[in-house]
Amino acid sequence: MGTTARNRGHETVEHTADMGLRGWGASPAEALEETACALLDLMADRRGLRGDMRFEFDVTGEGPDELLVEFLNELLSLSDVEEAVLTGVAVAWCLDEGDGWALKAVVEGLPRATHGDRLLREVKAATSYGTSVTHTGGQWTALCVVDL
Amino acid sequence: MSVDLRPAGTNVWEIPRQGPMLVPGRIYADRESIRHLLAEGRSQEWDALDQVRNVACLPGIRTASLAMADIHPGYGFPIGGVGAFDLDEGVVSIAGVGFDINCGVRTMSLDLSRSDIDARRDETADELFRSVPAGIGSTGSLRLSHGQIDNVLREGARFVLDRGFGIPEDLEYIEEGGVVEGADPSCVSDRAKDRQEKQIGTLGSGNHYLEVQYVDEVFDGEAATAFGLAEGSVVVSIHTGSRALGHQIGTDYQSVLRAATRKYRIPVPENDLMAAPIGSPEGRQYIAAVKAGINCAFANRQAIGGLVRNAFKRLFGLPDGAIRTLYEVGHNNIKVETHEVDGRPVKLLVHRKGATRAFAAGRPEVPERYRSVGQPVLVGGTMGTASYILVGTEKGMRETFGSAVHGAGRLKSRKRALKDYRGEGVLRDLARAGISVRVHSRRGAAEEAPGAYKDVDRVVAIMEGAGVNRRVVRLRPLVCVKG
Repeated sequence: MGTTARNRGHETVEHTADMGLRGWGASPAEALEETACALLDLMADRRGLRGDMRFEFDVTGEGPDELLVEFLNELLSLSDVEEAVLTGVAVAWCLDEGDGWALKAVVEGLPRATHGDRLLREVKAATSYGTSVTHTGGQWTALCVVDL
Repeated sequence: MSVDLRPAGTNVWEIPRQGPMLVPGRIYADRESIRHLLAEGRSQEWDALDQVRNVACLPGIRTASLAMADIHPGYGFPIGGVGAFDLDEGVVSIAGVGFDINCGVRTMSLDLSRSDIDARRDETADELFRSVPAGIGSTGSLRLSHGQIDNVLREGARFVLDRGFGIPEDLEYIEEGGVVEGADPSCVSDRAKDRQEKQIGTLGSGNHYLEVQYVDEVFDGEAATAFGLAEGSVVVSIHTGSRALGHQIGTDYQSVLRAATRKYRIPVPENDLMAAPIGSPEGRQYIAAVKAGINCAFANRQAIGGLVRNAFKRLFGLPDGAIRTLYEVGHNNIKVETHEVDGRPVKLLVHRKGATRAFAAGRPEVPERYRSVGQPVLVGGTMGTASYILVGTEKGMRETFGSAVHGAGRLKSRKRALKDYRGEGVLRDLARAGISVRVHSRRGAAEEAPGAYKDVDRVVAIMEGAGVNRRVVRLRPLVCVKG
């Protein structure tokens, strides 16, 4: 799967009906970004693609778990509303603001009209089921189940 | 998990009430299925039996947390899960509805024989593939403004019927007549409506399908006759739901119900069982939004039914009356229904997540034409195996709140299926078996390979053996269109 640098990466996790996504990195921002990359890999074959559509959004959550679910669901909605094949995602910043968590994401994509053949699966939603963002031994790990 | 599981009758197992459980868990399964569930729970991070037990802890649940024979791990509720809640003390939970609100099946009978289809099988497959938009990101011919979408959410199937999709008789054979009361479009976000602008009349992808099938065996002649079926009869089945609008309703209300869970201090054993009291402002708002999603699914299947009807008119010159909606019923929804609890009729909010309503003979909700035999229960199989039409029983009304399985149930994860099957091989095997399949995604064909699912014959036999559902006919596929 998509390890992009040492000590960070992502993978899918077995789930009979749906799919688990796991991302890890040195910070919450990296772990959430990697989990988002796992989602994008599930949605489309984005190998070799560079997006010319650019989107930015902020999401918030009471805690990191909720932030992860909101973040992934924002990507799903964005893909549908903008009729885009999402090709890349970066977390610009991710903060524990004391009374809640927030992140800013920068997303790239290509129009479905020209690149719809790269779509692999329709993902209905990111669920809160078994969602976790944990910090162990200097590494942050995020886990979420998405409904297929 | 270590689960205390005991046999409780033929093909029924019970998790006795313990700890925070308010009612026992009851699972319809044979011995082999139970062994599989226990092994599956050990090998994955998610466990369907654990989910049955967790649902039993939700406030206001009555009688038992139930799982039909197609049980497999979902999120929060298991797939195949049924939970009925007292209207005063109970809660409504997103996990008991899912994100594909009112996903379900419509079956239409055709005045054609198996030999008619066999003679033009590939032509039929091509015509249906062209006629019904399917696949990821597919769009329908209707372009709707937000105002028109609000009307879809209020009017359900009637909205698209009035625009030329289908015939008025269709409505009589849709659960609830194709529209539920109490849907409130103002409880649905603009984003959900944005996502639905072009999606009415689209099949979607994944396990959604459109199949031409024939009656391979009749088990209950009286019920089959009431449904207008005999050996060799041809039907078309449409499996889809509320599309992106339903997905967005679920997404939007996760944060609402998460906050409600904290606000009302609802003791949930698992995050995704987030819930709100049924009578709370949050609960009422979510239920009104779900009802809007239910109506959206009715409209979507009505539109596809119209496209299918037109396709068969073009192919075989059939008049409208020769293509009849046999029945349509959802399997991801919530409904207020009256059931007997402790010897008294009580109104309950019944959650069915991957489970089908299966009302027995005599219930007023069953169309008059079928009332003497019971409501048709439409159970989907796989691209290469059987589907079934069942009916509910009186025992089922007492034990399962009138519920049945919704399909075969997944056996292998999609990841496992992709390792075990190749799309080309799956399609080749199906062609050899005399089934014309048209797919938008070969990868999807591998993920949906017949071997990735449980044996549907065994799943329905478990329910019949337990006395809660009865087989009417078995259907075999001739043509399958997948997204």
